Amino acid sequence: MLYGKSIKTLIDHERNRLPEEHPWSDFIEQITVSFALQQEYRHSLGRYSRFFCELANGRFFATRCPKCDRVYAPPRTLCLDCQSIPDWVELSGKGTVKTFSVLHFNAGIGADVKSIHGPIFLVYVLLDGGHTLFPHLLRCAAERLAIGLRVKPQYVSGPVSHPLHLMYFVPEDEVL
Amino acid sequence: MIDTVQRSASRLPVVVAVGMTPFAAHHADKNARDLTTDAVLACMQDAGLENLNQVEHGITSYESDHFNRQMTMGAILHDQVGMIPKPNLRVEGGGATGALALRTARAYLLSGMCDSVLVYGCELNGRSVSSQTANQLFALSADVDWEVMLGGTYTGFYAAMMRAHMEQYGTKAEQFAHVAVRNRRNAARNPLAQKPLELTIDEVLNSRMIADPYRLLDCSLLSDGAAAILLSTRDWAEAHSERFAQRPPIHFSASGCGTDTMRLGDRFPNITNFAAKKYAAEKAYEQLGITEPKRAIDLAECYDSYSGAELQSMEDLGFAKRGQGGPAIAAGEFDADGILPVNPSGGLLGRGAPVGATGIAQAIEICLQLWGEAGERQVYGAQRGLTDTHAGIGSICVVNVWEQRD
Ligand SMILES: [Zn+2]
Repeated sequence: MLYGKSIKTLIDHERNRLPEEHPWSDFIEQITVSFALQQEYRHSLGRYSRFFCELANGRFFATRCPKCDRVYAPPRTLCLDCQSIPDWVELSGKGTVKTFSVLHFNAGIGADVKSIHGPIFLVYVLLDGGHTLFPHLLRCAAERLAIGLRVKPQYVSGPVSHPLHLMYFVPEDEVL
Repeated sequence: MIDTVQRSASRLPVVVAVGMTPFAAHHADKNARDLTTDAVLACMQDAGLENLNQVEHGITSYESDHFNRQMTMGAILHDQVGMIPKPNLRVEGGGATGALALRTARAYLLSGMCDSVLVYGCELNGRSVSSQTANQLFALSADVDWEVMLGGTYTGFYAAMMRAHMEQYGTKAEQFAHVAVRNRRNAARNPLAQKPLELTIDEVLNSRMIADPYRLLDCSLLSDGAAAILLSTRDWAEAHSERFAQRPPIHFSASGCGTDTMRLGDRFPNITNFAAKKYAAEKAYEQLGITEPKRAIDLAECYDSYSGAELQSMEDLGFAKRGQGGPAIAAGEFDADGILPVNPSGGLLGRGAPVGATGIAQAIEICLQLWGEAGERQVYGAQRGLTDTHAGIGSICVVNVWEQRD
């Protein structure tokens, strides 16, 4: 939008009718301007990076606290319970759906999700050998989605716009 | 030890006055400075103050630099309302921002650092950005590395949490739909509410599915608005506000805060409820010696960002047994005429939720109720009210308790 001599001003008619003694009766014009920002980040995945490197190799890694043996997926880089520095540990990537939601809208952050058509199955998976729930997308027939469903990772060779999408879950018994 | 600070009666904060704007999807004619001005002027008028010269400290409550398209809004709004050169602090705690700002003001007053604090909050979450932009900006408050890239948004995380509650306790969609109906009905008695509606449970259950099990009418509103509360010591209030002596005094008598992991999955196996809220509530109850909150609290404003979140909160605040929030809600226990009225203002579902102002508006509702100034929605004989406010899916929870006593 460009503005010049004949600036388009909306008059607030509600306010226009305000009695003269109203404290804001002298403020009846209103202009709205557009403002666009484009923000691009170079965002480091930091100490999480190995998880994503291994996904590219078709392997699933978590972190394990050497003191309390708690296994974190997604990896935590400091133990939640005892502040110990964890070790990387490989899991099979198989697990069980503990809760889920079916998203009927596409928030569209990142090209990988934008390209999905139809409902998105967001599942929280307790990985075999893990102690936390790993959130990811499940691809399967809608009638199969349920708490308790056994799932396995399907690795993707790419290209993807975010390395988290180098995998998704499918039902464990599905032959691809 | 923060929560068990030895407080002498003379420093326990009182509410001098309150003020807020209507909450709306859009105030086309007002920006954040205008809305804050209106809330602060309303608060000054309520206090009977001609100016803010004697007020010693300002606390600005707002969540998002992105929505406001402006950074350092703390200082800017402080400047706008003419509080320079007094000190200012901007408080941010996601959805809990307003309640956290009030809790901070309480600590400042108890510490003796100052005797009066004006807490003012504002947010433009309404139509000043497209809904696509709004989704993206809100998504930034979730875990961008691990969840946002999956298309996850808070609606999805809340939904997954509710799904787990349904699975574990047999909670039904019609039970949380009751909250969606009740709060919007309550909003009809609040002239400042954004979206009063007369609905049926069936209309909620037949509205568009957004993130299973949540439907459109289970979701709260995006709003523009501002709210302000002037807190002080009792001595300051008596010396500076004639109005203070004319109303039953309200004390900000307890405050609890708790935190949890930002990702739901990291809480496993506790994924059905807000553990941080239970923690915060227990801290607040401890300060007042409350052992039976359902009897001890007369009314509450709860964080109904989604209808089911209120249901879960009833359990975490001790108003229903774990897993029994659904039946208690469906039985009408928290309706306007129930044992413990919840969200008489209309809540986030009906009154609206401009984030930085939300927690303050909840406290304003409690104050109006304790003063007996809540008009058509007055809860009779209310002496002790609670506000429950949280960020994310309960990653920061704040429970504040307000009492009318001499
Ligand atoms: Zn550990």
